[in-house]
Amino acid sequence: MDEKKAAILGEIPRLRRYARSLLRDRDAADDLVQDCLERALVRLDNWQTGESPRRWLFTIMHHLFIDQMRKVNRRGEAAMLPLEAGEAVAQPAEQVESIASREIIDALQAISPDRRAALVMVAIEGFSYAEAANILGVPAGTLMSRIARGREELRGLLDDTARRRAIRIVEK
Amino acid sequence: MIRRDFSERDIHMALDGELPSDERSAYDAWLDANPEMKAKSARFTADRAALRAAVADVLDEAVPARLRKVVLGEVPVKAVVPRSRWWFAAAAAVLLAVGGLGGYFAGIDGIALEDPAEDRLAEQAIAAHVIYAAEKRHAVEVPASDKDHLQTWLSNRVGLKLVAPDLTADGFQLVGGRLLPAGESKAAMLLYEDGNGQRISLFVTTESTENAKGTYAATQDGPEAVYWLDKGYGCAVVGSLPRERLAEVARSAYTQLVNGLAS
Repeated sequence: MDEKKAAILGEIPRLRRYARSLLRDRDAADDLVQDCLERALVRLDNWQTGESPRRWLFTIMHHLFIDQMRKVNRRGEAAMLPLEAGEAVAQPAEQVESIASREIIDALQAISPDRRAALVMVAIEGFSYAEAANILGVPAGTLMSRIARGREELRGLLDDTARRRAIRIVEK
Repeated sequence: MIRRDFSERDIHMALDGELPSDERSAYDAWLDANPEMKAKSARFTADRAALRAAVADVLDEAVPARLRKVVLGEVPVKAVVPRSRWWFAAAAAVLLAVGGLGGYFAGIDGIALEDPAEDRLAEQAIAAHVIYAAEKRHAVEVPASDKDHLQTWLSNRVGLKLVAPDLTADGFQLVGGRLLPAGESKAAMLLYEDGNGQRISLFVTTESTENAKGTYAATQDGPEAVYWLDKGYGCAVVGSLPRERLAEVARSAYTQLVNGLAS
């Protein structure tokens, strides 16, 4: 089998993890990965030898993700609205998630796609600022401010969730 | 040491491994002197750990067949063929039943766990046989009546010169063939049937880097595979015939196949 394809195959687990952080829903995340792979295969010739397959594929996927998010916003769909604590979508039975995991992934969905992507890229995927800025196509300063704001926002949402939970307990 | 003022910005940089190492001790001292900043750093650190934990399992999941299929697929990009999806699922179920988890992961995700190549070939061949030999109307994609096309098509797709062996001397007639995924490559499956409706299949793939031969049975009463691996191609004959008879037919098929390759 050709080396490029083998390299692409090897990146699928990472792409899936990135997509899952961005979209939470497993099928939607895999759809994004599938779109990314399809586009990558069409553009196989554009892939420079020596360029990291990871960087190349993440760049393709990021563009798809951002395009999709803009379309969703234009159509005014509610897909990106944050879920209230406790009303998270039902998870398939095989996915046993802790409450903490579900809350933080829910909160992540509520922050803006650009900030979400920047934060996930660095905090979960472990890219350096320089690599992430390159993949996202933004200056390093922009990346840093997205990460900082993203973290603040995420923490704020988690604090809100905790507060609401506390109020509910008091009301009982 | 360079003295400088730190700010919240440095909390992010430190967390993301972007703080120059020679500033680290000054930064730590600054944190110690600013309990509020230290608490913030601790919260962000905990959030990052929670984020990572929330999606950590994704890396261990078997890669869905539909994604592998896009990369390896013989189908044109964008044309997703549902058949291939259920084939993987069905083959996975067979492998799971016969090989336990090891077989399952080897079948679904050849990158993560490697079985010996010959086991993999035999398991793929058996899985395909179990599924397709049982089909009445949809056993093959191209029927034997279109044999020339079948041979050309499969040769082109699999990447070797494939001549369908003539097994009439052994009592078997060619039914037809189909193209299948085989690990990270493709395989040709040729199906034969005798006068009693007993079927055997011939599974040929180019995915092989070693030499081996032998027999393999996934379950005690399931079909058996007789296989050969050579550098550049592998072949398995699968059926539920008595062992000596299967070996005999397989030898005949293999000889013709090798002659065909060289022709």
